[in-house]
Amino acid sequence: MSATANPAAVERPLPTTPTRDSRPYWDGLRQGKLVLQHCASCGRVRHYPRPVCPHCFSMESSFREAPLGGAIHTWTVCHHPFNFFFKAQVPYIVALVDMDAGVRVNAPLRGVAETDIRIGQGVRLRFEPVSEEVTLPYFTVP
Amino acid sequence: MAHALREKVAISGLGETAYTRGSDKSGLALQLEASLRAIDDAGLGPRDIDGVIPYFPGGGIAEDFVANLGLPDLKLSLFVPMGGATCVAALQSAAMAVASRVCNHVLISVGRTGYSGARVATRLQQFPQFALAAEFEAPIGLFAPAQLYAQGARRHMALYGTTIRHFAEVAVVTRRHALLNGNAVMNKPLTVEEHHASRMIADPFRLFDCSLESDGGAAVIVSATDRARALKKPLVTLMGVAEGHPESPASIAQRPDLLEFGLAKAAPRAYAMAGVGPKDMDLAEIYDCFTFTVINQLELLGFCKKGEGGPFVMDGRIALGGELPINTHGGLLSQGHVVGLNHVIELTRQLRGEAGKAQVEDAELGLVTGYGDMGDGSLAILRRAA
Repeated sequence: MSATANPAAVERPLPTTPTRDSRPYWDGLRQGKLVLQHCASCGRVRHYPRPVCPHCFSMESSFREAPLGGAIHTWTVCHHPFNFFFKAQVPYIVALVDMDAGVRVNAPLRGVAETDIRIGQGVRLRFEPVSEEVTLPYFTVP
Repeated sequence: MAHALREKVAISGLGETAYTRGSDKSGLALQLEASLRAIDDAGLGPRDIDGVIPYFPGGGIAEDFVANLGLPDLKLSLFVPMGGATCVAALQSAAMAVASRVCNHVLISVGRTGYSGARVATRLQQFPQFALAAEFEAPIGLFAPAQLYAQGARRHMALYGTTIRHFAEVAVVTRRHALLNGNAVMNKPLTVEEHHASRMIADPFRLFDCSLESDGGAAVIVSATDRARALKKPLVTLMGVAEGHPESPASIAQRPDLLEFGLAKAAPRAYAMAGVGPKDMDLAEIYDCFTFTVINQLELLGFCKKGEGGPFVMDGRIALGGELPINTHGGLLSQGHVVGLNHVIELTRQLRGEAGKAQVEDAELGLVTGYGDMGDGSLAILRRAA
């Protein structure tokens, strides 16, 4: 089916292939939680999820709920969609955020004027269910 | 003691198709057309090629070269999966192959239908290295390099005061250079005002901050220096070459410093191998997928300090006739996008003295970079043999 034939039917691109490693992260979002991978040996957090801790090489890990606060590291405002679904969304802001939990999350930033964004600004992660299976993160200013 | 590969290898043949918007040829046909020209430029025959490094994914693979060029005894088939850093990194792989006598002549080639075929966001999906971005970043609206690299550019502006005027200078100078060579997609001058007025793609990148989607093919041949000396063209040797891979190589988002990438590791190694530094360069061909990318690389290459890349490009410094002419062929921004193999070709041409109206007077030593795949980097330093 051609995407252009019926633009109303264009579906949001979804993370269709969570890996065995990343499944707990996506399950967490669906439950309204930021769940991050921690090394069972040295305790360090890592993101995106992967099989081996790059610090101590342990293959054991556990996923734990993390705080939702963070500070803007940088951002972009997307004007050209590069994708049919996002054609209806432009312009949209995507902020890269240094989470208090020690990793970064890239997600849309909503409710803020482009001219008011600054590096270091505090934001909070929120959750938007986009299908039965998938919940995506976004940020607002608290 | 000199590095084992230094000056042992030469760029012996150069080939390009016309760079166009629209082509009725396949990417493979463009790649083979450029390859045949490079073989001819070297004074070789197709059957002399015994190693191939085709750009991948997209375009031909070793089987295509054997089938089309009738290669009697292909001894090496490699991919160097580094996106925009591929072509310059491939010089290192080719150099190892010919210096060790595994191969006589290695063909590095690109064929791309970036305008008439799949566009960048679609092409990226073919990369295994894009899997992380596809899982975590495409769903929240980041699909294309313009968007993924825009965040780094925005941070550079916020930290160091870099401005769109600096970006525009790179675009305008590069365009001026493109008008000199007769094989460029963009054939009208560009002003700073036109740059600023062009539509926003991913803030802070406007249309004229972004490289072209074009159709074309390019190829170079790498041979051992002693063999190249006996060939047709003036000898241009490889003084230094290196590739570098950044932290968090498949995700820019998780990289500790968004403005430090593979080139930061490759540059010191390539300079040490060559026994020269940035101040020795007569010119530089810098991978220009975006205007800002040039500014960032000039810093990592040591032409200026971190954060000073913006002011560095001003006042004619990077234009022909300036202190460090860059992208004398018009680059990816204005000549054509063949993943930077056109940068390798232009540097070699300059050092041969074949660069026509864009010729840098008495060019003897220059560098060429590659940049891509979310931050892989590569650097080669070439010299005209005495």
